[in-house]
Amino acid sequence: MTRIFGSLRDGRGFDTVLVFMALGYLLVFSAFPLIYNIVMSTQSVDLFSLASFDRPFVGLDNYREVLSTPEANLIFWNTVKFVVLSIVFQLSIGFGLAMFFNQDFPGASFLRGLFLAGWIMPALVVGAVWSWILAGDFGVLNYVLSSLGVIEEHIFWLSDPDMSLYAVIIANIWLGVPFNMLLLSVGLAGIPKDVYEAAEMDGANAIRRFFTITLPLMRAQLGAVISLGIIFTLQQFDLFAALTQGGPSNASNVFQYWSWQLSFQTYEIGLGSVVSVLMIVFVIFVAAIYVRSTRHEHAM
Amino acid sequence: MTFSKTLASATALGCAAFPFGAVAQDVTLDLWTIDDPGEYHYVMADEFMEANPDVKINVRTVQFEDMVNDLARGIAANDAPDITYIDNPEVALFASRGLLLDLKPYIEASDVVNEADIFPGPLSSVSYDGGIYGIPRGANTIALYYNADMYRDAGLDPDDPPQTWDELYEAAKVLTKPEDNVYGIAFSAVGTEEGTFQFLPWLQMTGGDYDNVDTEGGAEALTLWKMLIDEKLASPDTLIRGQWDSTGTFNAGSAAMSISGPWELPRMSQEADFDFRAALLPIPEEGAERASALGEGDNVILANSDNPDEAFKFIEFLYANMDRVWNEFGYLPASDVEVVDPAYPEIYAVFEESMKYARNRGPHPEWPKISKAIQTAIQYSLTGQASPEDALATAQSQIDRVLGK
Repeated sequence: MTRIFGSLRDGRGFDTVLVFMALGYLLVFSAFPLIYNIVMSTQSVDLFSLASFDRPFVGLDNYREVLSTPEANLIFWNTVKFVVLSIVFQLSIGFGLAMFFNQDFPGASFLRGLFLAGWIMPALVVGAVWSWILAGDFGVLNYVLSSLGVIEEHIFWLSDPDMSLYAVIIANIWLGVPFNMLLLSVGLAGIPKDVYEAAEMDGANAIRRFFTITLPLMRAQLGAVISLGIIFTLQQFDLFAALTQGGPSNASNVFQYWSWQLSFQTYEIGLGSVVSVLMIVFVIFVAAIYVRSTRHEHAM
Repeated sequence: MTFSKTLASATALGCAAFPFGAVAQDVTLDLWTIDDPGEYHYVMADEFMEANPDVKINVRTVQFEDMVNDLARGIAANDAPDITYIDNPEVALFASRGLLLDLKPYIEASDVVNEADIFPGPLSSVSYDGGIYGIPRGANTIALYYNADMYRDAGLDPDDPPQTWDELYEAAKVLTKPEDNVYGIAFSAVGTEEGTFQFLPWLQMTGGDYDNVDTEGGAEALTLWKMLIDEKLASPDTLIRGQWDSTGTFNAGSAAMSISGPWELPRMSQEADFDFRAALLPIPEEGAERASALGEGDNVILANSDNPDEAFKFIEFLYANMDRVWNEFGYLPASDVEVVDPAYPEIYAVFEESMKYARNRGPHPEWPKISKAIQTAIQYSLTGQASPEDALATAQSQIDRVLGK
């Protein structure tokens, strides 16, 4: 008996327990919901049959129904635009800022710290702030743009169907830049200074140094930041809830918000599950890229 | 009781529905509400506990949008409250699944609640399949608020607010002052239940209803709404703003009229420093039928409550205090009671009158899907992505499918 406890405390038993705890955690909190979700996507489920077993299987009917709704196409492309534009701008702005603050100048780290304010704010608060900035009639952004003479008439960022998706994207870019900047700063700090010094002595200019030193050495970080960014962007829900609620007429709706609407507004949980299964497939693909990019990092 | 609740939720993980009786003499009731401390349910629960020391009421605040989901979760986990407040279109949803206690036998035996005193609109919102599944907490409806000062400035007669849709449009036109950032009217066409709530009366005034939306009158109503927005007589943000935010612009003097309900009065009396008045919703033309929306929710008892008798006693108590709701809590009585010395007597008279025309949403157990179809039609036609006729035809086919036609 003591031997067993001894082994649990400091021997091989302890390792085994740790492994099983991690495995158990993954099974209960990752694998089970994932599979449960896939199962639900093939069943006819509503809010009240959610906890019972009275849920008839309907095969792929839910998939057919979701994909045949007239808005599915629009929402799919909105999701693609949302992810691609968010990532491109978050990454380039974040990378630019990271390089800027990597220079030695007084107050650099303090200013960098300020950027984190956006990141630690809850997204719903960010949403409320941005809804004031973007409001059509009295919004700050319209005020600034019209005093600068850029626009003559107010832009209804949130309620114009041609603008509303971009309005959410702008807010999301702002929200994601600090995260990108932080992770990329860590990577930049890890590049030895003497490599640059040697290159400079060899006569390489700043642009050349960026493409031959910075970019290749940052490959792993960039891969990780892009994949995490895609996952975070696909998770972004609060901004839609706070700014446009997917409207007007689905103009700013994306898969993650649509899934919630189907599940919890009209209680078609089977259909909501279908949308999230489609998203899971995509996230698995992205996760694979992430795993590859971090493996590359270990190899170095 | 608290112990058994904890145990119940613990065992619920194993899906074991184990019957727990009351273990103590004293009875504890769980009450969920959308009110915050200091508001209606909290005040009433305190008064009730004072009068009935053997009953304890645990009040918990749930966000309005989360109520249905939280209840469904609570019911699944065997952790649902005894009494709860739900929005009136949701009564049919819960009743159709046997989750609510039928109060009919209780009402028949009651000395306090008299079915005949409850107004027909609120009564039909709690009726389902021959039973009565809740008692209206109060009632709400919408009307046209207007800024009488702006009326005078614009040369309109503040004692003669618009009666018809045409007059409303003309008034909005005269009142709109883009140079001062003032819109003629504020309302809500948001893509949620609130949008349906605001639009339905317009449809009903022309003879349509939730099951008959593809009508000429419906298209006319949407065309008018579209004109208001296209001509900037109402803010384009009407499409994404709820009623509370829309009326906020009225209170701030940025809109001359606003369509909303009596729940706005407490805030309006603080924020609006002008002569605000109310009028009935305009009708399509002289002599047309009137309609208004019916809002507010109901107090219901869950079917698996351990203490249905005490729970009903509490609901009786709420009902007996119906004459206080206007003055203290900002909504209308749902039954035939006399309000002594009403606050804002003229506005109260308008809403009281409007209440006579207030009609239900549904009732239908699949209401959220029907409502969604209507919201979609509103949004597609107001953004110009579909004509009002096409948008309503699409909504009709979706609604027909829900109704099994």
